[in-house]
Amino acid sequence: MNSKMLESKENIENIDDDVVLRLDDLSISFGGLKAVDSLTFDIKEKEIFGLIGPNGAGKTTAFNCITQFYKPDRGSVYFRTNKGEVENLVGKKPHEIIKKGLVRTFQNVELIKELTVLQNVLVGSHIEFKASLLSQILRLPKARKEEIRLRKKAEEVLEYMGLHTIKDQLVAGQPYGVLKKIELARTLMCNPRLIILDEPAAGLNDSETFALIRIVRGIRDRYNCSILLVEHDMRFVTDLCDRICAISFGKLIFVGTPQEIQANEQVQVAYLGKGDE
Amino acid sequence: MDKKKTERMAKPKRKAGNPYINYIVFGLIMLMLPILVEKEVIKYSYLTIVAGILIYSIVSLGLNFLIGYSGLVSLGTAGFMGLGAYLSAYLTINLKLPFEISLIISVAIPMVLGILTGLVSLRIEGYYLAIATLVISEILRKAFGEFTAVTNGFSGKSAGFPKLLNGKVLDRNSTYILIVVVLVIVIMITHNLINSYTGRALSTMRGSEAAAQAMGINIYRYRLLAFAVAVAFAALAGVLYVHFIKFSHPNTWTLLLSLNILAVIIIGGVRSIPGTILGAFIVFGIPDLVLKNLPVIGKIDGIPYIFTGVLIIVVILFYPAGLIHIWFNLKRAIFSLRKKGGNDSE
Repeated sequence: MNSKMLESKENIENIDDDVVLRLDDLSISFGGLKAVDSLTFDIKEKEIFGLIGPNGAGKTTAFNCITQFYKPDRGSVYFRTNKGEVENLVGKKPHEIIKKGLVRTFQNVELIKELTVLQNVLVGSHIEFKASLLSQILRLPKARKEEIRLRKKAEEVLEYMGLHTIKDQLVAGQPYGVLKKIELARTLMCNPRLIILDEPAAGLNDSETFALIRIVRGIRDRYNCSILLVEHDMRFVTDLCDRICAISFGKLIFVGTPQEIQANEQVQVAYLGKGDE
Repeated sequence: MDKKKTERMAKPKRKAGNPYINYIVFGLIMLMLPILVEKEVIKYSYLTIVAGILIYSIVSLGLNFLIGYSGLVSLGTAGFMGLGAYLSAYLTINLKLPFEISLIISVAIPMVLGILTGLVSLRIEGYYLAIATLVISEILRKAFGEFTAVTNGFSGKSAGFPKLLNGKVLDRNSTYILIVVVLVIVIMITHNLINSYTGRALSTMRGSEAAAQAMGINIYRYRLLAFAVAVAFAALAGVLYVHFIKFSHPNTWTLLLSLNILAVIIIGGVRSIPGTILGAFIVFGIPDLVLKNLPVIGKIDGIPYIFTGVLIIVVILFYPAGLIHIWFNLKRAIFSLRKKGGNDSE
């Protein structure tokens, strides 16, 4: 135990200052299936990093391991928190992750139908709300002040995302593209250092996808954060990302710039299959 | 500039404060009842029935908060209500404690028991809370009958009208007023809770556990909180019950009562404060106030149960969101009619 801790401390000291997230030998298997197998890569500060792979390659599983929804069998997830210290996220509870500055969206949009757009976005600032339960029950000035402060922040975020006109509408019944945007807006409420997007362009049409590229870049510049995303749409990924990691059957194939990825033979084999000869 | 912006933000908040007025008006209307009884407009016994309805409204609000906002179900409502009742009866009669102190203790002890139940059962997903509360409730019911030193067994435990700290003893009417005031306060607390960060966190948890966890909501803690609120309201209602009815019998606190309170929510409307009150009036009011006075139907044995049962089926079939939505639909219909009328005249 002690030697393990020492080892992990050494690993933390080895991480460069500009690295936000480092996966080190991350592995998880379900039964006999190795869903993620010794995955290792770094994400740097202010980087837009794409994770690609064919269906069932283990992309979403990798996300769930990073955010601790799944407990990895082996390996570490080093993350530079909002305080600037590097911590291993493995072993933390899912609800503790956001406090470190890591926030995510979901492949199948996870919004609350009974709440309005604004209320859904406000949920994103749950960890920012600082007033006791008693002051909420009695609506003391402290609770009201916090509510107004965060509401203002939420309205700013909604305005930035172009959603302020529908802020008081219910989420139920909104078009899919809007839902995706609301979920993205929700992640911006907690001052994130790294945002993880699970298939942000899935189900969007061409013009919406194009607009999304601009939005994601804008978020990176405005909120000074890194972005890690999983996506199928190759064009979207190569247009948007600074670096891309390709995985297949849970194993890393190649990490590089979009041009390098497109030129890489192994990636092409994984995606298109080997030509019959 | 900045100030102006804050003011603009604050405006919708003031609008949201409006329901307070509705709640207070409701309370004032309820306060008219003793006067009407004295003027002999309505029967003396009706005050008891209405007080009962108001007391059951308090419990139902707690259970509706639990079901509607955390998605959990408790089947032990009656047990916790009975525990509050017996405790307060024992503390005021046997230990001669004043009402206020007895109230605090009689709410706190069931809450601690509830939290302990929750600590064990809420770790596991699914219906374990329902099972655990059912068990606790049955144990309590048995204890009410057997633990004669405190509960007086099946002879039933008597209590008096509230005796306050300053030695003043309330009479029937002022106890009724106390119940109305407590109900209005409970409504306001529930309203605030629902519209607070906690309420949103609970809604999120109910809608999507994954989203809740990703947003930093500790599901276990919030489940526990919602359950503690439900238990506290139940115990509070139990205390008021025993000091108004002045009697508590083990057979009052059965599973049947828990299910009736569940029926209040289903019939009235989940996630709705006015719906809960409406439901309580229907489930606990109509059988006693209306059905019993009808010629043939009133003679049938167990008519309240038949009534509630049939009503649940009808409501689930036609108004799954609760009868309060008839009112909302009506309001919308009137609104659109008026709008149409306005357009025609132009």
